[in-house]
Amino acid sequence: MNKNVLLYAAILVFGLAAPFVFPAFKVQLSILCVLIVLATTWNIQGGEMGYNTFGNILFYGLGMYLCASVQVGMFFPLAEWTESGGEKTFVHTPSQFFQGMAAGLVVAAVVPTIVAGLIGYAILGLRGHYFAICTLGLGVAAGEISGGIEIIGAGQGFTTPPFPNVGGLEARGEFFYFLSFGALVLTFIAVRAIYSTRFRLILNAIRDNEDKAEAMGIETMKYKIIGWMVSAFFCGLAGGIMGGLVGYIDSTDVAFDGREMGVFMVLMAILGGKGTLWGPVIGATVFHIFKEGFWTFFLGWQYVALGILIVVIVIYFPEGIMGWLREKYPERFGEVVDEADRKAQVELK
Amino acid sequence: MKINKLILSFISAVAILLSTSVVSFAKVVGDKIVLGAAISLTGKYSSNGVHTQNGYNMAVDRINSMGGVKVGGKTYKFEIIYYDDESNPKRAAQLAERLISQDGVEFMLGPYSSGLTKAIAPVTEKYGVPMVEANGASRSLFTKGYKYLFAVLAPANLYLDVAIRTAVELNGGKGVRIAQAFEQDAFSQDVRLGILDAAKETGSEIIIDDKLPKELNDMAATLVKVKQMKPDVLVVSGHTKGALTAIRQIAEMKVDVPMLAMTHCDAAKLSKQHGKNSQYALCASQWHKTLTYKDNFFKDGMTYAADFQKEFGYDPPYQSAESSAALLVFKDAFERANSFDQKKVRDALAATNMQTFYGNIKFAPGGQNVDKPMVLFQVMCDGAGKCENKVVAPLKWASAKLIHPIPKWSER
Repeated sequence: MNKNVLLYAAILVFGLAAPFVFPAFKVQLSILCVLIVLATTWNIQGGEMGYNTFGNILFYGLGMYLCASVQVGMFFPLAEWTESGGEKTFVHTPSQFFQGMAAGLVVAAVVPTIVAGLIGYAILGLRGHYFAICTLGLGVAAGEISGGIEIIGAGQGFTTPPFPNVGGLEARGEFFYFLSFGALVLTFIAVRAIYSTRFRLILNAIRDNEDKAEAMGIETMKYKIIGWMVSAFFCGLAGGIMGGLVGYIDSTDVAFDGREMGVFMVLMAILGGKGTLWGPVIGATVFHIFKEGFWTFFLGWQYVALGILIVVIVIYFPEGIMGWLREKYPERFGEVVDEADRKAQVELK
Repeated sequence: MKINKLILSFISAVAILLSTSVVSFAKVVGDKIVLGAAISLTGKYSSNGVHTQNGYNMAVDRINSMGGVKVGGKTYKFEIIYYDDESNPKRAAQLAERLISQDGVEFMLGPYSSGLTKAIAPVTEKYGVPMVEANGASRSLFTKGYKYLFAVLAPANLYLDVAIRTAVELNGGKGVRIAQAFEQDAFSQDVRLGILDAAKETGSEIIIDDKLPKELNDMAATLVKVKQMKPDVLVVSGHTKGALTAIRQIAEMKVDVPMLAMTHCDAAKLSKQHGKNSQYALCASQWHKTLTYKDNFFKDGMTYAADFQKEFGYDPPYQSAESSAALLVFKDAFERANSFDQKKVRDALAATNMQTFYGNIKFAPGGQNVDKPMVLFQVMCDGAGKCENKVVAPLKWASAKLIHPIPKWSER
């Protein structure tokens, strides 16, 4: 237990000190936090429950639009803000900006949760590929629909309120870093708490054999929906933060960005090892470092390099980094290995 | 729990990696002025991104070889750090941040497209980094009160304004019936707003108002409606892909319409790709090589076009020309500011009043160029099927007479 405390303390210290030690990397670190949140929440469905969803991007995008809309709409007429060529310029005072952001984030987390409950009720009866394809459609549809809604800027996009002029040049970066780091800590604590209860076992039971789980008297539908709502809550929160960080929301390229974020969250979870608590965290970090590296050193070829990385992951690390480590060093994961028995098994083969 | 050790060592590895990453400070080093640019080298804007980059490079080489930039009695050369923004606004904003805070860039050139410029502008504004951009025309860029954003091009809502007014004029001053289809992106939607304004002022009626998806490769639904409702003008805007798709399908479906007005025809190399099928199409353009503007570096449009052709092997679209002009503006501003202080350079930029081969450049308080009108050209083909873009409006530069109405497909 002592070591656990040490580990978490180390991470917390690293997280809190990072923006001051590496001031130039604040934006990348903020995005890393968001990526970890997305991978960790995807893992609830994809890893623990065995439901490969591409639909979590829906909650992320929804959160982004909601947060920005609330932040603007609380103080100014939203339609005039988003109208292109509107002659008026609105400026948030610092207190308006922060109040708006706070309220916006609450809405950004809560509404997607409700939406997840409703959609989940409708489609979580689907299984396997059917569920995956259906959720894929959700993100695409949301992108097209939001691109037609005038009040949130439609195809013009939505410029989120600029950060107020307080605290110097670094304030914006630090604000969004701590916001996303806070969201990461919150997500991790919540997911860890959930995983320590019977809930995780139920999700695993659904993954391993849903019919059997049902036969045992587990109301699988209920737990599937709850699981998705938990993911939606944090995805929405992450989306809200990301919207403010990027400063500009585009329906298909930033908010409902299924091609990038939607696929990345799956990749990161698989890279790190799905069905583990730490896998998505490690996966997201490794992925982000590789991605940024490729962008710097293979300009123009970054997607080719990324593609090769994905192929390598699938061939050599099908169980992800955590799965690979577990196979290699089972004793470090608290598994007792009977060496004689292991040898006997190897020889049998 | 040995696993903790693994994770701990992993974290320290990340920390070491981060701290050893080289943070280079570029800005003005030695005799170099380093400019930063995020360009779409991949993704949906990749072809226009490359036009932009070629335009920048062409001007950098030219200015450097002709003596560079003189500031404080010393001569400096331009250098550009490029990153690929993948045509994605999220990526663009992140790269702007990276160029400024990691690479230490103090002056920026714009990306390609209004959407990406919208994503970058808040970042450059925050750091007070002057940005001269050549490819973000959306009107909303200039109403946000940005102080460090300067655009050498005319705003998007003016692109096809001329076309509507010409159609009304040819109709004896009476309003016309307009059919329009626009891509769902910041630029095209702004062109649409311009048409709405023009329609209102001229008493024209919009009978079809369609939206085209971003992954644009079919607009048959709109064209079927056009066939039935027979509008006087069909307006299409959707960057390069929109122009190509429209011409392909109009020819396939033999859609007859008296006037067809579009954007991005020259970037799409329309007359080369579709030959006679693209004949009579009207195109809005920021620039055409036959315009008679002049400067000391590229001489005039025709010389620029010839030099560009020699260097890159194709006729320069206006995206390249305006990008080259952005560098001329920067050079001029540095020399007038006689300093590398960002505020002073910004003020010098705001006071710009010059002529380049691309056109006159003078910025309004919002940052848009108010001294350069749009031109309209028409694709015209000779008997042998060789097609060329000829300027037809405004009349001052017209090298050919507008052919109106477009002959029916059955008569071609």
